[in-house]
Amino acid sequence: MNSVNRYFVNFFKGLHSLLVGMRVTLRVFFRKKTTECYPENRKKLVMFDRFRGELVLLHDSQNHHKCIACGICEVNCPNGTIRLTSEMMTDETGKKKKVLVEYRYDHGSCLFCQLCARTCPQQALDFIPTFEHAVFTREKLVHKLNRDGSTLAPKPVAESITV
Amino acid sequence: MLTIDTMQVDHIVARFPGTRVEENGPWPTLVATPEEYRALALFLRDDDRTRFDFLACMTGVDRGGEELGVVLLLESTTLGHRVFVETSTRERERPVLPTVSDLWETANLNEREVYDYFGIRFAGHPDTRRLFLRNDWKGYPLRKDYDASEAVNPVPLESEESPDVTFSCREDGGEEPRALFDDGEYVVNIGPQHPATHGVLRFRVALEGEIVKKVDVHCGYIHRGIEKMCESLSYRQMLPLADRLDYLAAHQHRHALCLCIEEALQVEVTERVKYIRTIMDELNRLSSHLLFWSTLCMDLGALTAFFYGFRDREKVLDIMEETTGGRLIQHYNVIGGVSADIHLNLTRRIKEFIKYLPPMLKEYDQVFTGNVIARQRMEGIGVLSREDAISFGVTGPSGRASGWACDVRKRKPYGVYDKVEFDEIVYTEGDSYRRYLVRVKEIVESLRILEQLVDNIPAGDFAVKTKPVIKLPEGRYFKSVEGSRGEFGVYIESRGEKTPYRLKFRSTSFPLVSVVPRLARGSKIADLIAIGGTLDYIVPDVDR
Amino acid sequence: MFDFSIITQWIDQLLRGLMPDAAATVVECVLVGLALLLGYAVIALALIYVERKVCAWFQCRLGPNRVGPFGILQSVADMLKMLTKEIIEIKHVDRFLFGLAPYIVIIASVAAFSCLPFARGLQVLDFNVGIFFLVAVSSIGIVGILLAGWASNNKYSLIGAMRSGAQMISYELSIGLSILTMVVLSGTLQVTELVEGQADGWFLFKGHLPALIAFVIYLVAGTAETNRGPFDLPEADSELTAGYHTEYSGMHFGFFYLAEYLNMFIVAGVATTLFLGGWMPLHVPGWEGFNEVMDYIPSLFWFLGKVGVMIFVIMWFKWTFPRLRIDQLLRLEWKYLLPINLLNLLLMVIVVVYKLHF
Repeated sequence: MNSVNRYFVNFFKGLHSLLVGMRVTLRVFFRKKTTECYPENRKKLVMFDRFRGELVLLHDSQNHHKCIACGICEVNCPNGTIRLTSEMMTDETGKKKKVLVEYRYDHGSCLFCQLCARTCPQQALDFIPTFEHAVFTREKLVHKLNRDGSTLAPKPVAESITV
Repeated sequence: MLTIDTMQVDHIVARFPGTRVEENGPWPTLVATPEEYRALALFLRDDDRTRFDFLACMTGVDRGGEELGVVLLLESTTLGHRVFVETSTRERERPVLPTVSDLWETANLNEREVYDYFGIRFAGHPDTRRLFLRNDWKGYPLRKDYDASEAVNPVPLESEESPDVTFSCREDGGEEPRALFDDGEYVVNIGPQHPATHGVLRFRVALEGEIVKKVDVHCGYIHRGIEKMCESLSYRQMLPLADRLDYLAAHQHRHALCLCIEEALQVEVTERVKYIRTIMDELNRLSSHLLFWSTLCMDLGALTAFFYGFRDREKVLDIMEETTGGRLIQHYNVIGGVSADIHLNLTRRIKEFIKYLPPMLKEYDQVFTGNVIARQRMEGIGVLSREDAISFGVTGPSGRASGWACDVRKRKPYGVYDKVEFDEIVYTEGDSYRRYLVRVKEIVESLRILEQLVDNIPAGDFAVKTKPVIKLPEGRYFKSVEGSRGEFGVYIESRGEKTPYRLKFRSTSFPLVSVVPRLARGSKIADLIAIGGTLDYIVPDVDR
Repeated sequence: MFDFSIITQWIDQLLRGLMPDAAATVVECVLVGLALLLGYAVIALALIYVERKVCAWFQCRLGPNRVGPFGILQSVADMLKMLTKEIIEIKHVDRFLFGLAPYIVIIASVAAFSCLPFARGLQVLDFNVGIFFLVAVSSIGIVGILLAGWASNNKYSLIGAMRSGAQMISYELSIGLSILTMVVLSGTLQVTELVEGQADGWFLFKGHLPALIAFVIYLVAGTAETNRGPFDLPEADSELTAGYHTEYSGMHFGFFYLAEYLNMFIVAGVATTLFLGGWMPLHVPGWEGFNEVMDYIPSLFWFLGKVGVMIFVIMWFKWTFPRLRIDQLLRLEWKYLLPINLLNLLLMVIVVVYKLHF
């Protein structure tokens, strides 16, 4: 008798658990959906400001950047993502100075660890929250970060941060 | 953490005259000769005063010069103390050390890893095959004299054959062939590309109809040599690699690495940092357990439930992303603190989430936990006994489901876990259903921890200043945290340089994978999936 | 109520007027075949769309919404893609059987499809053992699945096929018995007569308790028969990647895919015919005005509407429950469904003999 009892108890308990589950899914069926329609909502879509999309060399309105081509970022990068090209220039006072020629950044191999931006003595680098980075070849992921014709800002702020 | 006391050390040294004691780490190191090594290990495991039943971490080390050796970190689950045991051999051509794989089951795969990295064979080990690298790989990459040039190991253009024969190692280093699979066996590959292995893990499974007879684990499909890479990176540079081990416990793993380095540097972080780190750890655990729930449901065929879990996990990711800037890989901990102060919205969002989740958890229970099909597919399936859990080193929720109270947050509190109240969920049955339940209940406990912390974050700096160039003082360091799926430890051997001499991550998923053959034997294919799903291993953490 | 036989008879007479009888029969066969295949394809495409939308809604998603308004052309686009895809030649397969298998599956389901009474006078095959023929013909599909698994030379496929064999043979019993229960109640095997017998009330209401039990069992077994979740073990994607059709590509895979959806339609259609009055409108005894209004709704809509509800229920199962394990699956059949079914058959006999039904 006991086992017959158990047979039916198990059967109806099981059935009940199935119906409870079906009730939940039916409720969700009529709930508001959570899907975001991506390309349509592009205008409303705001990324969190700390999101690391890509590295940029900051430029001001006069097309000045703050990079003194010291190469600390290049040394610190664990993945060899950054390649700096610089040349020695002599300014009006006769002082020799390193000047940035090209700041190459390989977006495809970046770890987004922020060591470059954090160790930059000039705070010339930052990460921006852009996110539409898909391209068709890897070569297109290598960016030149200094804009054409940009020069070093006249008065660099010398302050080192180490975090 | 208790260390083994001097009287016991003296007692051991008296018994094993070749063994010497070094004090250059958080716990004493017993340096044994290869002849005494096995006897010492056996004594340490079985003696009533030591009872080291848990092999927490096994590391191969190239001592430089001539010596190759292994370092064991032993822990007693009953007495709570720890000790390092070390041995090494001067033979570099064909180094052989005695095996301890019959003393602790976890040593089985670990010794294969040591063989793979250093070429040390273990006499008596039943299965001397490479673990991560290809069988035709030349050289042993973690040896200091390893030639990494591509001329030695060109990029292979052919796929690797999986031999059905392995070798057990004899005392003299000779090989004894042993069949893995017979010719007549119906061998099926589960993985490396398989929806239920959660990554590129491969099981070769011998089947008899639906019944699993044997499982042979193949790892290494996502082996990146992170430990090798760390040997040439500065301590700051290696931090992002820690995030990439177990991508569902990125924050916790980086936490462990930072804690280990901070302890070595004797840097004291502020209370605020501890609070922030703990909050982020728990958020990370929430996201990991929610993902566990979702993927388990998917593995068992409940696809709708999968989406519910992901819907809610998205909210956790948003909370983390706003503060850390990363969703999966956060890069938030740094040596001495965290990389940025918490976002203004953090507390508000966490509070909203604490209110949001419990009704959803109720729905989870209705749609899956209580479901008769799900219950029958998990109950009594893949039973792991407490002894096996300890022997295999299965920590975390899976170990707790087997009755081993192994939560690092309780055993060796870090962060502010000693200040919050939460229950350690422990079951004794050890089956898949209990492994599942532990995680579901830990979601609730994580919410409880967050609730206690979120309003009480003290003021202070979010980071302390550290030197531009970090050099760890000479010695060995080990620090572990409770990751999302077990004890994650970082073992660093430093020789006072900018880079570590040897760095080993005690992976959380590695023991979980090593226990699959034991659990799956005799069960059905569908059970193998359920066992894998409830163990919840993450393959990049296995392969490192 | 509109009778489709007016149209069919008109076409018949027209053709017979134009050509000799034998030729007319051939032309009619071709026309019917074309209509059937067209209906088959359209219904399959519609079902694929509906399934994707319904499953999305259960999962708090929107579902297809890119191709056409509300994504309505999505499955058409999918079909075009499927048709243009290469059929990959696989080494070491038994090429003949490998190519044959999808056709067997699809022929079985088309044959079963042709037995369904869609509306008054709209039915291709109607003879005195119609429902028996339908059950017999629909189970030919299992041969195709077994062949697919065997011929693929793939271990996953073979396991999937063996599972499928065990599952289908078991659940065929339940389907047969629950249909038998209803045959006892109606006293006929002919499909039209089954439907006519429900003019004064659906069998589900007429047969009360035993009919309800048979209905539930039929739905469960029918879902299992179509290899749909939670009984999708033969293709269990998290265990066997795709089971018996792992190695199929292009339109060969498309056939399996179409057949799966059409089998769902057939199961729902048979459930409608046997339990929910087929194309008969809903009549409530005594409510003359209500019954009049119901009669104005065309019979085709009644049929499709009822089938739609059944299909929704089947989808609701699928998108709620986890998959069963093979032993659970067989236990459910042999330990629960079969004994209950046998008792239920006895109960139905008693009900019929003592005229306890309405």
